[in-house]
Amino acid sequence: MTAPSPDGVKLTASDGGWLRVHPASPFVRGWVALVAIAFFVGRDFFERLLQGRAVLDDEMAQRAPWLLIIGGGILFLAVLGFVLSWYFTRYQVADGYVRVASGIFSRQQRQARLDRVQAIDVLQPLVARIFGLAELKFEVADSGESAVHLAYLKKADAQKLRATILARAAGIVPDPGMPEDTVPEAPEHHILRIRPGRLLGSLLLSEQTVGILLGAVGAVVLSSLTENLSFYVYLFPAALGLAASFWGSFNKGYNFTAAISPDGIRLRYGLLDTQAQTVPPGRVQAVRIHQAPLWRIFGWYRMHINVAGYGNAADANATSSRTLLLPVGTFDDVLSMMALVLPDPGTDNPVDVFAAGINGMDSDGGFVTSPRRVRPISPLGWRRNAYAVTTTALLLRSGRWWRSLAVVPHQRTQSMALQQGPLARRFGVLDLVLHTTPGPVSARLYQADVRVAQMLFTEQSARAREARRSQTSEQWLAQVVARPGSPISQAEAQALTAAHGQASVPDPLPETGLVPAPTSTPLQEEDQRHV
Amino acid sequence: MRTEAIDPPDLTWQRVSSKYLRLRLITWGITAAITVLVLSLPLVFVLLGWWSWPPLWLAIGVPAVVLLLELWELLLIPRQVRALGYAERDDDLLVRRGIIFQRTLVVPYGRMQYVDIAAGPFERSLGLCTLKLHTASAGTNATIPGLPADEGARLREQLSARGEARLAGL
Repeated sequence: MTAPSPDGVKLTASDGGWLRVHPASPFVRGWVALVAIAFFVGRDFFERLLQGRAVLDDEMAQRAPWLLIIGGGILFLAVLGFVLSWYFTRYQVADGYVRVASGIFSRQQRQARLDRVQAIDVLQPLVARIFGLAELKFEVADSGESAVHLAYLKKADAQKLRATILARAAGIVPDPGMPEDTVPEAPEHHILRIRPGRLLGSLLLSEQTVGILLGAVGAVVLSSLTENLSFYVYLFPAALGLAASFWGSFNKGYNFTAAISPDGIRLRYGLLDTQAQTVPPGRVQAVRIHQAPLWRIFGWYRMHINVAGYGNAADANATSSRTLLLPVGTFDDVLSMMALVLPDPGTDNPVDVFAAGINGMDSDGGFVTSPRRVRPISPLGWRRNAYAVTTTALLLRSGRWWRSLAVVPHQRTQSMALQQGPLARRFGVLDLVLHTTPGPVSARLYQADVRVAQMLFTEQSARAREARRSQTSEQWLAQVVARPGSPISQAEAQALTAAHGQASVPDPLPETGLVPAPTSTPLQEEDQRHV
Repeated sequence: MRTEAIDPPDLTWQRVSSKYLRLRLITWGITAAITVLVLSLPLVFVLLGWWSWPPLWLAIGVPAVVLLLELWELLLIPRQVRALGYAERDDDLLVRRGIIFQRTLVVPYGRMQYVDIAAGPFERSLGLCTLKLHTASAGTNATIPGLPADEGARLREQLSARGEARLAGL
């Protein structure tokens, strides 16, 4: 096996070389434990020092050896544990797989197929950032834990490894003449950036703020009426919780940048902990555009995505930021992000259709609403609850005040269900539910007319079937470019693809995996057809 | 089988085995008996004079209400079993269930990740099994209970073969 080269970890090894993560990582991972031990052991010492007493008086001199032995022993065991787990954790990128072997006593080895990559993240928690380290997370599918989780690598190495994995996932075979660790980072094109001011504004106008303000008003009124000050006491925890949640959102959403590159959509964000996500083309399962009532003043929207592997896990904080496609943005921002995740909207005037889907009512933009007879059970929503179909996606609109639009590409539909309860039966309506991979986006058409829903159900099965047969996500970049009003020009896109190393577009992958067989439509043809 | 109002037209539903009704009745009988017996314990203790609380009306009322609910469920069971159905089409499988809360589900063969067959002791003694389809979505709750064992095996093979032929990525 090859030893790690001194200038960094050797990234790819066809000789089956196994590599370790950075030697500092046990300390970065375990810094909290180390700090705690140091604190308990050192506290007594410092107290004495500060009080001006002798550090070692008689009583202390007797206990000192024991204290030192116990403290040192615990410290030694902790460090030993971290170091051993570091020593026994190795990874390898070879033959189309990433493998991670770990465990001191019971060894375990995980492997993940590169061509099944769903998303790949580079994370930098604050402490790791100080040391210039980064963690690599690699999602395959399923909502369980990440398939591969490498903490920590040098930041440059993590980025190189990401580039390697993505290039391998796209099927770019390393040139035998070239040194293996020179897979270049795919060039990217900047799409948008959220200014901190707008992020702050969006937080201030969120439902939580309204809630706490109402609570404050209520407390003031109640305490002045009853002349009892105890109502203010209840405000403190609420305010603290609000501040924590604001800080969390601000910390996560700060400096949010979106970019497009040949190997996927890049999202970067974070104030103290930074994170860079890459979602390869065609991996987005569903999109939701959402608007809280107060955001309407400034025309702001938020977008979430479902990506297989991101899931909807219990770790709500991490998940909510990872599934966030756009923390806050204008209608134009929404359209440009939409162009990234759904390159071909499948309609002649996408702006009108999405405008109708996001802000519209009734049947503008070709939407089909609930029948008028459901007014008694849905007085506000019936004009908003609607669907529209384009040749590539199904758009489901809902919510009068909390506006929401879910977009599911036809080829990503997993399964569908029609559901009807007793009340809905009386009104002759039913719900159509589209199942997608676990995530924050739930696609449900509310209270559609029975005949309409049945027709949609049957047609949608057929459409999904057709779309699966002709998946074209390999042409992802070409489609983005071909779209009128696209954020990047054709020339730029060609430069992007050309610059992506020795980018020979891959042969069809041997298995019917997640990467479909490429079709040979050059960029130019695609462009002319649409213009 | 009669097609319910929400189902897509022109479908012939396969019904589950008639023995499944027997299975449901057996499980109903056991759970109902245990629930009612446990809830009647306070009544026995009160009658024996061991307990002074709860009052007699409460001690009688609670098991009585539960018994009524169980009987109501008993009335529903035959209809629930009749409402279960599945239909194999060229490219997908449809599963329906429910009378009051109806649901019709369609799972494309190309989306199936794996197929499960399970049979508990009661099911096995009646020669039944439960088939479950899994897709990449957690929302897909495609369960067909009460299949005869050989029909279950046939369906599993059929579904796997069709899924293999039409397998698509996520």
